[in-house]
Amino acid sequence: MKKFIITLLLICLGLSFIAMAGVAKQLKFAFMPGIADPFYFTMEKGAKAKAAELGVELIVGEYPKAWGPEYQVPILKALVARGDIDLLFTAPTSVEALIPVLKEISDSGIPVITVDTYIGDGDYTKPSNYNFPLAFIGTDNFLGGEVVAGQLALLLGGKGKVFLENTNPDVSSVMGRELGFRAGLKIFPDMELVGVEYCLDIQETAVAQVGAALQKNPDLAGVFGVNVFSAQGAYQAVVSAGLGGAVKIATWDATETLIEALKRKELNLILAQMPAEIGSLAVEWGFKHLTEGAEIPKKVIPGFFVFTQENVNDPEAQQYIYK
Amino acid sequence: MTELNNSFSINSEKFGKNNVINILGRNWALIFLIFMLILFSFLGKNFFTLNNFNNIVLGVSSLLLLASGEAFVIISGGIDLSIGFVMGFVCVTTAIIMRDLNAAGYSPFISILTGSLVGLLLGLIPGMVNGFLVAKLRVPPFIATLGMWGITNGLAWRLCEGFPIGFIPLQVRDIGNAYIAYFSPKKGFSFFVKPELTERKDILSLLKIIPIPILLITLILVIFAFILSRTKFGQHTYVIGGKVDAARRAGINVPLHLIKIYIISSFFAATAGVLLVFKLNMGVHTQYTSSYELFAIAAVVIGGASLTGGKGTVWGTVIGVLLIGILDNGLMMMGLPIFYRYIATGCILIIAVLIDQFFPELVYKE
Repeated sequence: MKKFIITLLLICLGLSFIAMAGVAKQLKFAFMPGIADPFYFTMEKGAKAKAAELGVELIVGEYPKAWGPEYQVPILKALVARGDIDLLFTAPTSVEALIPVLKEISDSGIPVITVDTYIGDGDYTKPSNYNFPLAFIGTDNFLGGEVVAGQLALLLGGKGKVFLENTNPDVSSVMGRELGFRAGLKIFPDMELVGVEYCLDIQETAVAQVGAALQKNPDLAGVFGVNVFSAQGAYQAVVSAGLGGAVKIATWDATETLIEALKRKELNLILAQMPAEIGSLAVEWGFKHLTEGAEIPKKVIPGFFVFTQENVNDPEAQQYIYK
Repeated sequence: MTELNNSFSINSEKFGKNNVINILGRNWALIFLIFMLILFSFLGKNFFTLNNFNNIVLGVSSLLLLASGEAFVIISGGIDLSIGFVMGFVCVTTAIIMRDLNAAGYSPFISILTGSLVGLLLGLIPGMVNGFLVAKLRVPPFIATLGMWGITNGLAWRLCEGFPIGFIPLQVRDIGNAYIAYFSPKKGFSFFVKPELTERKDILSLLKIIPIPILLITLILVIFAFILSRTKFGQHTYVIGGKVDAARRAGINVPLHLIKIYIISSFFAATAGVLLVFKLNMGVHTQYTSSYELFAIAAVVIGGASLTGGKGTVWGTVIGVLLIGILDNGLMMMGLPIFYRYIATGCILIIAVLIDQFFPELVYKE
């Protein structure tokens, strides 16, 4: 009996060595998304394509049903508990709560890249308790806000009254867009920001707020809705006032409903982030780091794609729609 | 009750001063509303215009329905915390049905009608469950409806995954954003169909008279205000909320009555959900949909109801909702940031409760 058990154990040990040797040939990257939504689905698609190209195996964690460390951390822990991951790229759902969790993973020998969101203030170059990730690859909301301001100014011929419909004053991403938009408008002396409202992601409130702004400023020329709900509320208010087309509307994130509104000519421009590009870059830089020892820049910011009524049907634009 | 009112009126006749206080106390919300209308007309640019009033009532149209349903529950001595998410759940479900039927090639008419009816019917289920839990299993209303708050939120979220449901027939929006009549200085009167205007100043000067959703909501409110104030069902609601033991002794079937009350509350929430699809041309549900029930409860209390039950009216609630809407819009037109508007609404709510607390005899009783 003893002999049998020892033989069995030896066989198992031998098999596991063979298995490990097999694994060592192929790199395994893990992707832990922030929440189940089209933005991260698109990011996964981009990462998968690049992984297939480079011969990397990509393991994707279960998509959290809601935003927040209480949903993300248990899945993340289960994901790295497999023990065979060579690199993790993830969108941390809290700038604070994910620091110790990711630190532990990094200390265990798995390099970490944060995508879309970051820990701490996102600056991994200075000494801090959160500077251990290899890089942050994601959108710069401030820069995006500036781009929207510039594009809207272009549409309006550099002059006119504009209104900003925001969502939550306590979320860094949308506030970054607002600050960028304000800064971008300063370049155009004849453009005036006549108001900022917050709809707390309630579209009905956004309709009422933009409706009131139209009453207050009958000569309103443009509106920037910082996310899907504020933008939909904005064009709903403009269309029901009968001013569709006369008041230009800019928004952020190329979801299918917003693209549809753009095709109906109820929206004028959509700034799309590049989630597929972010996923692809994470895999590419991670691969270069592990195979060639390449030094990754601490911050990688892919560009934006601006959808307009003119280019929305172009074949090459379709890849930037979040699906 | 009538005796009580008579004794007040006799007292009031004796003391003229009391009479004034009496009227002011009973109608403080309405008086405050009129005061605000006057104030904002002077301070807010373009506040006192028909189109801005349309904007105000359309902005609070969901709240009008939710708060009126909540009024029934609060008068009966309960509370319903689930209405915001029931609305979100119905809104998303209705939109999904409309979208899928439309995509399957059914006519817009069939898609819209089926979506609305199924949405309305599904929306009654949470009320039935709430009522059963409260009336038959004696679960406190706060807990029973909080449970339903979670369930409807989870269901709605699962269905829409946090994203708006679009691609529904555009006729939905045409109906939801139509008015009974339009008047353009250029083209005169027209009914139901918006006149074609191209100049911006003509578009802005177009008068829009009574939005269709508001007409529908007013009809529903008139019916339910009548039920509450003029029928036996209404009387029983007040008795159950005031003195539940007395109601039982009087032979009222309290459990059955309470189930009906929670179904009414759910019906209002479901109607609000379907109307929201018509207004927005899509189904939306976010975590913030739950802030609706808090504003609904606030409106009911501002409208003269007491959270201990037995007091309140549908029209009082309507005044409460309008007060919140006008306060928000007026301060916005004055250019005050949103933070201060929340503070203002909070202050009004506290004043309402204080008036109820210290001068209970002044608040209008049915």
